[in-house]
Amino acid sequence: MAAPLVLVVLAAVTVRAALYRSSLAVFIAERVEVASPLNAWKRVVEGLALLDLGVSPYSGAIFHETPLIIYLFHFLIEYAELVFMITDVLTAVALYLAIQDFNKVVFKKQKLLIELDKYAPDVAELIQTPMEMHYIPLKVALFYLLNPYTVMSCVAKSTCAINNSVIAFFILATMKGSAFLSAVFLALATYQSLYPLTLFAPALLYLLQRQFIPIKLKSKSFWLYTLQYASLYLCSLVVIICLSFFLLNSWDFIPSVYGFILSVPDLTPNIGLFWYFFAEMFEHFSLFFVCVFQINVFFYTIPLAIKLKEHPVFFMFVQLAIISIFKSYPTVGDVALYMAFLPVWSHLYRFLRNIFILSCVLIFCSFLFPVLWHLWIYAGSANSNFYYAITLTFNIGQILLISDYFYAFLRREFYLTHGLHLTRQDGTEAMLVLK
Amino acid sequence: VCTSRFWFNYRHVANTLSVYRSVKRLGIPDSHIVLMLADDMACNPRNPKPATVFSHKNMELNVYGDDVEVDYRSYEVTVENFLRVLTGRIPPSTPRSKRLLSDDRSNILIYMTGHGGNGFLKFQDSEEITNVELADAFEQMWQKRRYNELLFIIDTCQGASMYERFYSPNIMALASSQVGEDSLSHQPDLGIGVHLMDRYTFYVLEFLEEIHPASQTNMNDLFQVCPKSLCVSTPGHRTDLFQRDPQSVLITDFFGSVRKVEITAETLSLERHGAGMESKLPEEELATEPLKYAEQLPVAQIIHQKPKQKDWHPPGGFILGLWALIIMVFFKTYGIKHMKHVF
Repeated sequence: MAAPLVLVVLAAVTVRAALYRSSLAVFIAERVEVASPLNAWKRVVEGLALLDLGVSPYSGAIFHETPLIIYLFHFLIEYAELVFMITDVLTAVALYLAIQDFNKVVFKKQKLLIELDKYAPDVAELIQTPMEMHYIPLKVALFYLLNPYTVMSCVAKSTCAINNSVIAFFILATMKGSAFLSAVFLALATYQSLYPLTLFAPALLYLLQRQFIPIKLKSKSFWLYTLQYASLYLCSLVVIICLSFFLLNSWDFIPSVYGFILSVPDLTPNIGLFWYFFAEMFEHFSLFFVCVFQINVFFYTIPLAIKLKEHPVFFMFVQLAIISIFKSYPTVGDVALYMAFLPVWSHLYRFLRNIFILSCVLIFCSFLFPVLWHLWIYAGSANSNFYYAITLTFNIGQILLISDYFYAFLRREFYLTHGLHLTRQDGTEAMLVLK
Repeated sequence: VCTSRFWFNYRHVANTLSVYRSVKRLGIPDSHIVLMLADDMACNPRNPKPATVFSHKNMELNVYGDDVEVDYRSYEVTVENFLRVLTGRIPPSTPRSKRLLSDDRSNILIYMTGHGGNGFLKFQDSEEITNVELADAFEQMWQKRRYNELLFIIDTCQGASMYERFYSPNIMALASSQVGEDSLSHQPDLGIGVHLMDRYTFYVLEFLEEIHPASQTNMNDLFQVCPKSLCVSTPGHRTDLFQRDPQSVLITDFFGSVRKVEITAETLSLERHGAGMESKLPEEELATEPLKYAEQLPVAQIIHQKPKQKDWHPPGGFILGLWALIIMVFFKTYGIKHMKHVF
């Protein structure tokens, strides 16, 4: 499987290199959907220039990257394009290896459940076969590398690519079962942007599953392992933050990075939901609504953990999607990361109800974003409501996509245990309805 | 300077043109006047009497006659152009009539009217000049020796805020209202349909009508013009930066062009230039090329003093710590036994 992967990688690198040399690079780099105040390349350059002038880059409200990014780009700024291309390739390879491992786990689990007779007799067509699962890792790498969102993100040199790569390595480490590496990468991912904190729960569930520790609240081994993992994670986070202090000898980066992410002061339009609300809100209520919006991101962890505790990888996928929809400054790079996982659940296709409409909505909205931006900012014949409408529609499309996949997943699980042809008590055919 | 446009700001144009006429009447020629107007009143489709701008009700006085020379009209009245005129930093292609060709013996009168607020004056409904900018412009003028004495009159709402920040010597300032007060307009004319003048300028003009080139009226009388009973707002003035006593300053020092002429019956013989003058030049004076008008400030010398760029390097401790951590993580995951392969 290495050769097709190499081909895919080569194709992706060619596309990106071609775009870097073309005139579209400047246009794409300025698009607000691709570059947010958190990860725009212009701001990284500005921060490094400020450092060269002897001023702390966090002193203005321009630079919101973490000190590790400063360190990385201080030496690599001339090779920035190469760095981003390599990052994308690394992400894709990490996802490829992770999904390969995941397929093995899925297959093993399936075999176990078949032998234990947990499946209903007539669900043969629902069971995944190695034949159809063979190409899934390649498809995942393909989906990530050749996704227009990723390509645009890479050409714009947005540091979202680096965030994605850290999350991909975290997923790889979790799949391989190494709690230590997984905690380290999760700490790095949380350090970069605050929201991967919610990925702690699915990672923990997956590792518990791998260690065959049952998830019962009274079980001692469960709490022991949880404590171990949590302490590894927290220690690495503390170590990384303290290390960042030593870069510039100041704690300035904490309000600049985390304070900025949490309190959302910059209301540049992006594809998220925060900017419009807070642009028209009275000062009096803004604290309350900031808290509500931020809690919204973290809130879904617990109900999803309860529902999906047997399926932590799907949980991780849903959590990633929730992060990229509800985070304070989303960009299309975040969307690209969870979309890379869609091939893993291609077997759910028969249960998806609205996939055609949703894919149309997403594609349409992606095309309409620059159109309405132009109408609003340059032509002056539209206003922010138009752009926000498209933002809303795009996010609704994403949310419906995720809930559709969720529904399909649960429906498949139900069919697996109860059989495909459901009958009511009196023998007539029954329909499955999500309540 | 009239900083407004549009028909309903008729009175600002009438104000400015009335002061212009008085100043011309008292002897200052057009070559010494820079007039900035939006100039959209006389030919405005809403003007019932085209080609006229009246300043008294019942259309007594047409201040827009045949000989009004507007130097900056319509969209050229911007904050940038105003400041460039004041400081002299004008592109070399600007015609003489658009320049303020003053030197260190000139007394300058600046009259501004329009809409203003606390600390700013609105230009043409799209930009603003602040009192700080104005004060800095005057300081530039002082440093470039572009005025001897300067009289600044402003007729806007909260006009006194515009002269609060001046800090250059020899400036006297008058304003039509204090901070927090509005300047009010004088009379509407039912035939034209708008207010024709502002109160403060109306009373200043009544005062100026009595001045002739030989009058000895001084600044203290100008400060008394338009008391609160007539003007509703409280006019203010500022003389702390002015070195002479306002009592001794004649109105015609600023508003008119009065030259002192002394008639003498004896003849003077002037020596030829040359032999006598050379020894007066000190030897250490460098021969510089004559500065062009637009280069009065040595900008080139100033901007080349960029700070020397020192490269920033991450501290050694950080790099050490980071790589130690990375190596620790690597060996923890892959086991110590790989170490001997590395070494």
